[in-house]
Amino acid sequence: MNRRKIIFYVFFSLLVIIGAAGIYIYREYNRSHRDTAELKPNYTISATELLKEFEIDEKSSNNKYWDKVLKVDGIIKELIKDEKGFYSVILGDTASLSSVRCSIDSLHSNKAASLQKGNSVAIKGICTGFNADELLGSDVILVRSIITQKN
Amino acid sequence: MKNLILLVSAFFLFVTISHGQKYFTKSGKINFDATSPASPEKIEGINRTATCVVDTKTGAIQFAVLMKGFAFERSLMEEHFNENYVESHKFPKAEFKGTITNNTAINYLSNGTYKVKVNGKLTIHGVTKDVETEGTMITQDGKINSSAEFKIPLADFDISIPGLVADKVAKTAKISIACQLEPLKN
Repeated sequence: MNRRKIIFYVFFSLLVIIGAAGIYIYREYNRSHRDTAELKPNYTISATELLKEFEIDEKSSNNKYWDKVLKVDGIIKELIKDEKGFYSVILGDTASLSSVRCSIDSLHSNKAASLQKGNSVAIKGICTGFNADELLGSDVILVRSIITQKN
Repeated sequence: MKNLILLVSAFFLFVTISHGQKYFTKSGKINFDATSPASPEKIEGINRTATCVVDTKTGAIQFAVLMKGFAFERSLMEEHFNENYVESHKFPKAEFKGTITNNTAINYLSNGTYKVKVNGKLTIHGVTKDVETEGTMITQDGKINSSAEFKIPLADFDISIPGLVADKVAKTAKISIACQLEPLKN
């Protein structure tokens, strides 16, 4: 191979690498959140069990569940639709002040619209932690949640 | 007999009022806006799961929010917010505990709009600082619409902005809170 060919191949390879890096950076920068429907749950647990774990040991439960995909099943205590049309499904025991509060992903609002208080559901969402509150009742909060199959 | 019932009802109403009524929400909305004027895009996260309680007798006001619940449009921005700026894995919750200093001027029992002055302690990223600001409370049909905006210099809370994005991310963030509060039944 003569020198000109080597320079050409090096230049061309560099171009390809820079091009690939550019595409990668562009895609990474503009990456949007993955739909919760596509995510596999890290844990499947009942609402009452989840609340119990956090109430017994908040710190280690946080280490375990924070930022994880949880599939939580329970009875709907309350169904809320705010003025912007965002749904929240509140799971838990009506005798307790504490609940698992699930903010439903706006892309999946329609499934929440058909729910009713007292229904038994399974919800998959990202755990943002435990909001301990003696007066109002301590809640586990899930965001980007969707209604999912119970099985 | 009717007068007796009226008198007894008035007595109980008086007792309830003088014990103070607490109002609360668990779906308060908080906007975290750190867009600098030079930024080509909005740097804003929205959280719709804040809790807020107001004690109408003492003027005590508190709110709490889980940092992981702030949603940003771009996933990468949300990750930077959580991992690098507020380090939510270390400090999952932000709180404010304070007082409405002009609480006595507010008549919670009738419809009205009030400018309120609030001061108290704000804890973000594990750092607690005294803050004060003004807000609005609108009492309407037994509910309260409250809103306030805090201007928070990020460095005060040990939140460091990497040099690479220093021109995009504002040194002072605007934290706006809007809650519709309902009476707490006890």
